[in-house]
Formats: sequence, C-alpha cells, structure tokens
Amino acid sequence: MACCNVETIFGLGNIGRKLQVFPSHNYKASVISCVAVGPSQIPQVPWKLVFHEKERSLLSNEKYGIYGGKFVPETLISPLTKLDYEFNSALRDPLFQMELEVTLRDYVGRETPLYFAQRLTDYYKSINRGTGPDIYLKREDLNHGGAHKINNAIAQAMLAKRMGCKSVMAATGAGQHGVATAAACAKLSLECTIFMGSLDMERQPSNVLLMKHLGAKVKSVNGNFKDAVSEGIRNWVNDLETSYFLAGAAVGPHPCPTMVREFQSIIGKETRKQAMEKWGGKPDVLVACVGSGSNALGLFHEFIQDQDVRLIGVEAGGSGLDSGKHSATMARGEVGVYHGAMSYLLQDEEGQIIGPHSIGVGLEYPGVSPELSYLKDIGRAEFSSVTDEQALEAYKRLCRLEGIFPALESSHALAFLEKLCPTLKDGEKVVVNLSGRGDKDAAAVFNHTPKHE
Amino acid sequence: MSSVQRPDSFGRFGKFGGKYVPETLMHALEELENAFNSLAADEDFQELDGILRDYVGRESPLYFAERLTEHYKRPDGGPLIYLKREDLNHTGAHKINNAVAQALLAKRLGKNRIIAETGAGQHGVATATVCARFGLECVIYMGAQDMERQALNVFRMRLLGAEVRAVHSGAATLKDATSEAIRDWVTNVETTHYILGSVAGPHPYPMMVREFHAVIGKETRKQALEKWGGKPDVLVACVGGGSNAMGLFHEFVDDKDVRLIGVEAAGFGLDSGKHAATLTKGEVGVLHGAMSYLLQDEDGQIVEPHSISAGLDYPGVGPEHSFLKDLGRAEYHSITDEEALEAFKRLSRLEGIIPALETSHALAYLEKLCPSLPNGTKVVLNCSVCTVNRLECASMN
Repeated sequence: MACCNVETIFGLGNIGRKLQVFPSHNYKASVISCVAVGPSQIPQVPWKLVFHEKERSLLSNEKYGIYGGKFVPETLISPLTKLDYEFNSALRDPLFQMELEVTLRDYVGRETPLYFAQRLTDYYKSINRGTGPDIYLKREDLNHGGAHKINNAIAQAMLAKRMGCKSVMAATGAGQHGVATAAACAKLSLECTIFMGSLDMERQPSNVLLMKHLGAKVKSVNGNFKDAVSEGIRNWVNDLETSYFLAGAAVGPHPCPTMVREFQSIIGKETRKQAMEKWGGKPDVLVACVGSGSNALGLFHEFIQDQDVRLIGVEAGGSGLDSGKHSATMARGEVGVYHGAMSYLLQDEEGQIIGPHSIGVGLEYPGVSPELSYLKDIGRAEFSSVTDEQALEAYKRLCRLEGIFPALESSHALAFLEKLCPTLKDGEKVVVNLSGRGDKDAAAVFNHTPKHE
Repeated sequence: MSSVQRPDSFGRFGKFGGKYVPETLMHALEELENAFNSLAADEDFQELDGILRDYVGRESPLYFAERLTEHYKRPDGGPLIYLKREDLNHTGAHKINNAVAQALLAKRLGKNRIIAETGAGQHGVATATVCARFGLECVIYMGAQDMERQALNVFRMRLLGAEVRAVHSGAATLKDATSEAIRDWVTNVETTHYILGSVAGPHPYPMMVREFHAVIGKETRKQALEKWGGKPDVLVACVGGGSNAMGLFHEFVDDKDVRLIGVEAAGFGLDSGKHAATLTKGEVGVLHGAMSYLLQDEDGQIVEPHSISAGLDYPGVGPEHSFLKDLGRAEYHSITDEEALEAFKRLSRLEGIIPALETSHALAYLEKLCPSLPNGTKVVLNCSVCTVNRLECASMN
C-alpha cells in the first residue's frame, strides 16, 4: 500500500474505529484543528477535507547530503524500514494527526507561548547604548514534564501503540527523555523500560525516582548515555515483534532523526503563527542549544527555506574548547559514523569517541544530528559554543530578570545572547528556544555557587 | 444565592470573614479594595490577560483522564473524570495566577516593595517569581523550621532576587511567618504591598484572591461546553487555605446542579489529633484577620496542624469556605496521609502525571466518591500542583 491521499483513505473506509458525529469543528489548511469530544471520540471527518501536503523531499531520503543513513547490522535493516513505513503512514493518517493534536493540547499543554522577555530585552539594550533586538522566548519549559522531549515521546508512543507494540524501550542521558517516555507509556498503558548510564544515574537521582513513580523499569548500564543506547538497542533486537525503541535524540539510523525532528517541528510551526500574530512578520534570528539537536531542529525546521531567517545553534563549551572537556561537536568534531548515522563526531586521531562534558547534562553527546551537520556544511545554520560558566551566568540572569528558571541546557542558548545582541540592529526579532525548565538544576547551580553569594 | 453578596460591603460571608486587624492597617485595606475595584474596568487588566497567556501559559487544558476513568468503571458504567491542569502553569501550580495579578495591583498603587509569607515555599517562589518579572523588591517570611526542611526552595527564592527572612518565634512555621509578615506590613504599609497566598486574611484579600483565581472556573465552564456541551456535575479540589478550590468553585456557586467538594488533610487520622481538617474538626474563631473555622484547643490556642503535604498544613481556612459549608452549598471531607500517597501513585501510573501531595488528597477522594456516581457523571478535579521537578519526590520512596 503506497502512501495515499486523504480521500482515498476515506473511500476505502479502512479506519476501523468507532466514529461519532460532532456538531462543530473547524479545519485550517495544513493543520487539522478540532475540539475533542471527550472520551476517545474522534470527530467524524467530512469527506471533503483540505489537507495540504507539504513538500517533504528530505523525508524519503535516508540522507542529508552525505550525512545520515543506516549504518546498522543486517538484523536492524528490516525493522527500521518497517518503522519508516509506519511513521509515514501515521503522518498521512488524519485520525492519528487529530488524536495527536488533541493529546498535545490537553495532555502536553500546547501551544506553548511565545513570550516577550521585556526585562531581558531592556537589559541588553541598556548595555548597548539603548539599542538592541526584541527577545522572545519559546516556552517549551511549560510543557508537561518541563521540556520539549514530551512532544516526541508522546507521538512515538502513540505510533508504537498504533503498530500494536506492547512495550517500549528507551535510552536516556540526563533523564529528561526517560521521564517523558515513562509518562507517555503510563498514559498509553505501554510497558516501559529505560536504560540509563550508571554515571548519569548518580548525577540525576531525582529523574530516576520520577521514572519509577511513573511505573517504568529503570535499568542501570555501566557507563553513560552512549552505553545506555547500545544496551537499549541490544535489548530491542531480542524482541522486535512487540517492543518499540523510542529514540529521544535526532540522531541514529534513518528514520530516527527524521521522526524526532518531525515530531518536534510543532515548535517551529507554532512560532511562525505566533510571530505573525504578534508582529506581523517572521523572526529574524532563531537561537537554540544543541546537544543532539532535537530542540534546535524543532525550532529551525519550519524556517529552513526562509533564507532571511538566521539559524544559530549553541553547543556546550564545557571548560573551554581547548580544555578537551566540552561537547562542542560542530566546533571540534570530524565526520564519522556513530550510532548508525554519518555525522560530525568528537573523536580522537584513532577514531575513538571522546567522552563529552558539560554542566548541561542533556548536551553531553559526542555526536550531533546528521541534518544539522548538513545545514552547517551548506552554511544554512551557524554554530557557536559557550562555557559552563557562561551558561551558569545566563541561568542566574534569567531568574533575576524574568522569574523563569531555564534548564542549564537552554541556558547555553541564553548565554549566547551576550555575544549576539551587540551585533544586531534595533528591534530585530530574536526567538530563543527555552527548551526546558531549570528547577531540576537548582541543586547543581547551588553547588557551583561560592558560599558568600 | 445570587441575591446574597459574597462578600458584603464589610467583607463578610454570612458571619465569616471581616477585617479583624489593628487600626494601622484599616486604611491600607481600604486603599487596596478601591484599587482592586477600579482595576477591573481598566486597561491594566488587558495587560493581565496577556501576562496570563504568555507568561503563565494559560489557558490550562481540561484533560480527559481516560485511564483514571477506566479505573473507576463499574459493570454499569461510571463517571467521566477530567483534570483541570493547573499543574502546567509557569512555576507548576495555581499560585501564580494570584501572585501575578497582585504584583500588577501593587505597581498600580505605586508600591515597589512586596512581602509575603510561605510555608513549604510554593507561594514564596511564586511571589519571588513575579517580583523578578516586574522588577519589585521582595521579602519572604519563612519559619526557621521550614527553611531547614526546604533549603533548595530558599535558594530558589534567593536566585530570583528575593530576601528570605527566618522567623524564629512560636513553632517557627507558616502561621508564625504569617504573623511576622503582618507585623512588617503594619510598619511599612506606605511602601509595601502584602501578597497573601490564599483566600484567608482580612477583607479584601479573600475576595481578591478568589477573583484572581476565578479564571480557573471560568475556563472550565467554557471548556466543558466545548467538550460535552454542558456543565460539570461535580467539582473536586483540595483545601488548605482554599485558594485553588475557590478558584474552581466560584464560577459555579450559583449553579445549584453542580456539586462542590473540598478535600482537606486528615494527616494521621481525624482522631489522632495530627491533621489539618479545619472544616471537619475546627471551631469558629478569628485568625490572621478573619473569622473562620480554625483548629484551636479549649484555651483558644492554635493547634499545630499536620499533613504530609506542606501546602495543606494550615490551621485555618478561607472564610468563604466556612460560609459555603454552613450553608450546605459545598461539602468538605478529609483524606489521610496514607490515602493521599496511594492516590499519588495511582495517577502517576495511570496517566503519567505526577501530582503533588496536595492534589493527591483530592484524587484520593475519588475512591470514595466514584462508586456512588451514576454512569456518565462529569467530574472535574483541580490538578492544582505538579511534582515533576520538585525534589520532595525523593522523600517518597
């Protein structure tokens, strides 16, 4: 069955769900917006549905330029192909899309606001002779779970259910993806196993506890995130029939990077609409922190074709790029294959992976998204980095000026404003992706703060 | 019901409420009331709408809890359970609704210094948050005991730029912090606005705080109409001081066909003497400027309340709740620590939403409520606080 258009699906009547008539609903061109009827009742879609198919040339490719691909053992080729097919089929299924939209609205709490940070804007203007950009924060910190991770986790969990899987496995670094996955599985009554590196478990005990409260099994793996991923995949291979491996980062073999990006792209879609509502235009600059790149791609993807919108990714500079203790893959990495995809990668001369470091635990990944690697090479996106110290400063600054705790990961994006703002014209519109909230990081900041402060 | 003014011009709900304060505060309270009344008509309130939307993240969803509903299904059916997701607000609780509006009010009054009291820190953090946002000086009074137990919350308030002052008098907990805050206000009333965290205290606070939280109920009415073309049948909320409950209930008080249920903390049990079930076990008296039910001994001394959830640990309750109870308009029940913990685990496992222990009390009451509800009854529960990032989780293993 090839991917078919909406009318054909309805012509076949092949939906297999109980539909009920709902009196009023409205549909917009490319987004089906509806009001839920309540208990699992999906509104009946009229036969004439306007469903605008966006240009998806990158979707059917396995690669972005030379990056991406499926560098995996033979056993995984078939399940990945199946996943790709199921994913595309779900994207074109209006029922799935509607259910997802209702879930994003009622469970996750979307849409997230595009918040004008008045005091932050004034601060940068005041240190720059009264001129400077208008700074907006895309509030992914207000999502259920406190980060953007849930956008992807809930959508993939729904996909897993649609595919008839009974259990979900995932690997998590800082724990945010693990918590989001555990929450999604609880809601959809899927069994959930999270693999986490023992070193990470020590640094993020509260996240481990949260996952357990949500009913997930947490398996400790010697080492850190990369080891957890390997173990997770090993377990998945043993149970391909009924289990689903839920990738949280925009890395890995095709179709994972594409899926994660697609489900995160709601961020950018909303931003476009909100920018139009607020100032009747587009953003001039988009800034996001980059670990693997999921939140950055989520914001950027919508605007890739808009050449007048600058895309800036900010990586973790750790203790400084020359210290060797950082996670700035774009700055210091070289092209290689890692976790099934070709991409930039922090490796030494012998091709061994260099362990990354950052105060923003979620940014600690030696690789990066293949799509971002491609955007870097063609000059469409720019990448920079900030140190742990600069991120901590930015964290405190946002607390003091706006009463918002940013995640230490997101603080990297905020820290970049120090370098960025003096170079921008008065009134340029900057949107920073506030990818997560930082209450979880208060302890870390506390430990880094000299006691007299 | 609609012919009765709630409150009347003296700030009374029946015999409850009022203004039992020192003379020095009377003028400030009057000034506050006037500012509040004029605010409603003003453009400043448009500003409030924008802030609630872009800063706080409203409107909060009315979420159909499918698996929780399934859990309570009997062979002949069961109620449909919806959660009003106040946990998704900025700062993770409903408290911010009131804090933000009062900060705007303070600016209007030309007062640049804000004081507040806090128990576990939720209201303190909410207040410090809005002070940072609006550039106001902020002093938070906190019992020394509470400060030790909540060191991280203290650090958070300081990061937000607030000064946290330890209160050592009495039992060094919430009620003592409240008394100290009131004392500060009496001294500095010219320059200072006191952001009270709940629908307690002297008039106009119970009314104001209720009005600022009433957006919860207003949204619920609209969302209920959209979702099932009707009203909720039953509203359930936890009650400490009573602000989240009033916020949900107020819109529907005049709708006689909507049941209002408040759930208090029974701690170790109502007969243990260690609880915070003011409306069940309290007697009428005056506390913090208002007449209301409160937990007191035969000498009229305040009894130290107990609950596993810090936010419900208050010996008094809002005067309007006392009024609604006596009138029979609202019912009040209580839930023990044990039952609340059970409910905490239940929601986490069934819906992937980790509620705070306060909200868990309301959730626990569903165990007793649902068996008696006919098929298709619409229940809306105020999910007032979340725990996703609160480290107190660590203590609940």
